Amino acid sequence: MSNTTRFSLSDEAKGFILTIFDEMIDMCSGITGLVISTVDGHAVLFKFTDEPLAENRISAMTSSLLALGESLSKESRQSLCRYVIVQNADGYVITQRFGKALVLTAIADKNTNLGSLHTATRVGTEKLSSFNKT
Amino acid sequence: MAQLKFIFTGTPGAGKTTAITAISDFPPVKTDMFATDELSDVKEETTVAMDFGELTLANGEKIGLYGTPGQERFRHMWEILTNGGLGLIILIDNSRPHPLDDLKVYLDSFRQFILSTGAVIGITRSDIGKDTTVEDYQKVLEKEGFILPILEADARSKSDVLMLLDMLMATVEMNNMDNQDIYNEQHYEIFSF
Repeated sequence: MSNTTRFSLSDEAKGFILTIFDEMIDMCSGITGLVISTVDGHAVLFKFTDEPLAENRISAMTSSLLALGESLSKESRQSLCRYVIVQNADGYVITQRFGKALVLTAIADKNTNLGSLHTATRVGTEKLSSFNKT
Repeated sequence: MAQLKFIFTGTPGAGKTTAITAISDFPPVKTDMFATDELSDVKEETTVAMDFGELTLANGEKIGLYGTPGQERFRHMWEILTNGGLGLIILIDNSRPHPLDDLKVYLDSFRQFILSTGAVIGITRSDIGKDTTVEDYQKVLEKEGFILPILEADARSKSDVLMLLDMLMATVEMNNMDNQDIYNEQHYEIFSF
């Protein structure tokens, strides 16, 4: 019952995304992980600066989390869930959708400034979106 | 008044969201996302977190209807959604290539939950997939050590889904009585000494 995404990246696209990942880490040094996944929970590309994490599980959970965020926003008669931020004892996880089918998840340690993480994620997804359109 | 909680699970595209929609008092809360894998051949979107609907019984009691995502990568939601649940409806799409293997996956994944509560199996799309019969499913259940009701059902049909729910409630009630008997026996043994 295993499914695989039909979303694939060219080597050029992978190179571009990894450059964006590096820029994000330069902008916010507390970032320990970046994962791009599809909205239905498949991992596409990832980078971990610290210990490796289970990108497949993170991608599936990200998908559930984002969908619940969007449902909650509709239920609250609000619209367009932009981010889902999870603040933990040991750090943050921030998730942002970009384009029709992709999601960026940034994981950061507890010394990170949330504003700086937020900015890095927003700038990162803007750049990724512009590439996604081309 | 406490709400009863029942869970719908099963293969992607088997009709879990459709079944909940068929009997819910209100349009269910859905968490559908654009499908990017093989499932996109069958449908455009897929449930990635949960469905939630509600059914009010004649006596005013409310039943919470929770649907799980079908794919195994969303196993984290299976664990969350079964918490506090009273029973499980497993929907298997009979038109898939290996529906008996599909059933085994859900029996295995939800084994502890089924043993402690109860379950019914609903076979959907049996008008399209005709190679696998109810008897074949029965054999799988026997081999896996389960005695559970199996019904062919149309997930779009309110009466079919209510029938599954009725059977589930009867099964859960019977299991509770059995457990009560076991409890009584143990209780008796303890006090016999």
